[in-house]
Amino acid sequence: MSETGIVIDGVTKRFGTFTAVDDLHITFADGETACLLGPSGCGKTTLMRMIAGLETPSEGRIIIDGTDVTRMRPRRRNIGMVFQYPVMYPTLTVRENIALPLKRDASLSAAERAKRVDEVLEVIDMAGRAGAFIDELDSGSRQKVAVGRSVARQTKVVLFDEPTTNVEVNAKLTLIRTFKEISRRLRQTAVYVTHDQTEAMTLADKIALMKDGRIIQYDSPATLYRQPSTEFGGWFLGNPGMNFIPVTHTTRGLESPLLAAPVPAPDRLGSGALRVGIRPEQLQAGIEPFEGSVKAEVEDCIVGIAGQLLVRLKVADETVKLKTGKLPGLRNHDTIHVAFPNEHLQLFEDGNRVEERG
Amino acid sequence: MERLARMLDDRRTLVFVLLAPVLAFFIVFNTIPTLWLLGLSFYDYSLTSGMPPEYVGFRNFVQIFFNRNGIWGDLSRTFIFVACAVSIQTLLGLALGFLFWGSKNMPGRRLALTLLFTPMVLTPVATGTFWRFIYDPTFGALNAIMGVFGVTEPINFLGDPAFAYWAVLAVDCWMWTPFMTLMALAALGSVPKAELEAAEIDRLTWFQQLRLIVWHHGKFILMLGMLLRTIDSFKTLDLIIPMTNGGPGQQTRLVAVELNKQAFQSFNMGWSSAYAVLLLLISIAMTSVFIHVLNLRRRRERS
Repeated sequence: MSETGIVIDGVTKRFGTFTAVDDLHITFADGETACLLGPSGCGKTTLMRMIAGLETPSEGRIIIDGTDVTRMRPRRRNIGMVFQYPVMYPTLTVRENIALPLKRDASLSAAERAKRVDEVLEVIDMAGRAGAFIDELDSGSRQKVAVGRSVARQTKVVLFDEPTTNVEVNAKLTLIRTFKEISRRLRQTAVYVTHDQTEAMTLADKIALMKDGRIIQYDSPATLYRQPSTEFGGWFLGNPGMNFIPVTHTTRGLESPLLAAPVPAPDRLGSGALRVGIRPEQLQAGIEPFEGSVKAEVEDCIVGIAGQLLVRLKVADETVKLKTGKLPGLRNHDTIHVAFPNEHLQLFEDGNRVEERG
Repeated sequence: MERLARMLDDRRTLVFVLLAPVLAFFIVFNTIPTLWLLGLSFYDYSLTSGMPPEYVGFRNFVQIFFNRNGIWGDLSRTFIFVACAVSIQTLLGLALGFLFWGSKNMPGRRLALTLLFTPMVLTPVATGTFWRFIYDPTFGALNAIMGVFGVTEPINFLGDPAFAYWAVLAVDCWMWTPFMTLMALAALGSVPKAELEAAEIDRLTWFQQLRLIVWHHGKFILMLGMLLRTIDSFKTLDLIIPMTNGGPGQQTRLVAVELNKQAFQSFNMGWSSAYAVLLLLISIAMTSVFIHVLNLRRRRERS
């Protein structure tokens, strides 16, 4: 095997009768940042712990840079890892914490080691607090130290296990900025577990969307967002997720009471349940009727960030979510008009995306 | 009723009302007896002679200090007993604690733990009694077992001055090592798993993990256990009475045994009170160490 990066080859992990990770095949390319994204219990953390060596797969192999590490102890794998719980060794200062894993590296001289630590301190923006102890730092800073310690060794692989979970909101942002800075500078292969889609979108070169121990889609953030391969992907990504409208396939195309005119159908279609998906921000809306619009009743509206309105609409007995900045002063039970632009509609058959539309 | 409710609305009254029962209890059952004890220690007062208490000043204390077979022998035996018992029990407890900690998936672990903890829940008097039978030179199990291994001359463990002290110490260890195992397990249980996992990934050596993580998180609980054992073994009495009752000679006469004999068998109340006052001072010193260590943790947390 000469393939670089991390290769997950048919890995399954069972805990008793529960299958956490189910026959996974995926390759995390060298030097890329991959995010494992999914709801809790989807197996993302288990997968990461297997890459780290903290769990052993029930079946399958894990290969890092051509070496089969499936049964190798974590300490021999040349990896770094940041945990959900900010690990900073107590009784040691920030500087000593970062220097600690380097001490066992005989290839570095003391001067090189000190230089490396200084670099890391600068990247994590803790140079001014190098002498601080754990008691003097908030959880965000502790997590930064943990990040510094895991990248200081410059291992081939760095793993992040939901590192921002136990950190408060403001520190979260600086922490994410630190991650970006580090991945830009070090070009290590990083795997980042999160259930926060914004984080995944910001950090990842590629996102692996997981559900029930399987990978649903492995794509760049933009592709994942624009062209989800499944309804689950469309629903899980975006805030709020995609709208799905059942359609029927007739000779005129795809029809629904919500669509003013039929939509052209693709050439080959099975007999499964058909639904079109559209993101809430892609709906067009107006107070007066307009070309291609249908009538909608406002059920509920919430003011979101930056004056964005999040509106729940009732359109021909279907509930539809709309996100818009254009309709201020909307009230419940108002009547407005919405349209579902053709170019934004995506067709799903039995939950899976139908690729080519005719 | 309403007036009472209004009265209780006042914070200071409420505090006083809530404190009153425990204060009353403390004064009646703790403070007054202690002061009584202190007073009695200056009297010559024997319950058996029928004489009224006679004020003798410091004579009881002087007698205790200058008696050749008195407190100095008892105290040195007791301190050696405490030092040996606590260190042996801590070391064995730690060893067992690490074994059980590292074998979380071993089948039968719970059963083994339950069996291990049984000595601790026995009544010390019962423990002492059946160990006296085990140690017995003629029909004891221990001599029978040693006979199998070729020891023909039975050893009178509790009757032989060369063995008695250590035989009693061994029983104390048998009984209380489980307690230290429990404390060691609690201490090890307080070590965050993530830190150990991080240490494994950071390639920390076994010794570094022990020093930087396990000791840091576990030391307070472990020290608490050691201090409880220290104070408890200083008072060892119920284990010794059925086994040797202080003998042979004075080989196993610890301070509590002597005090028990003087106070409740000879009824020398004045002398015993003076002796008890001295033990109380030593106990207060030990308790201060104990409280100091506990406060150390709180001081750290505040900073």
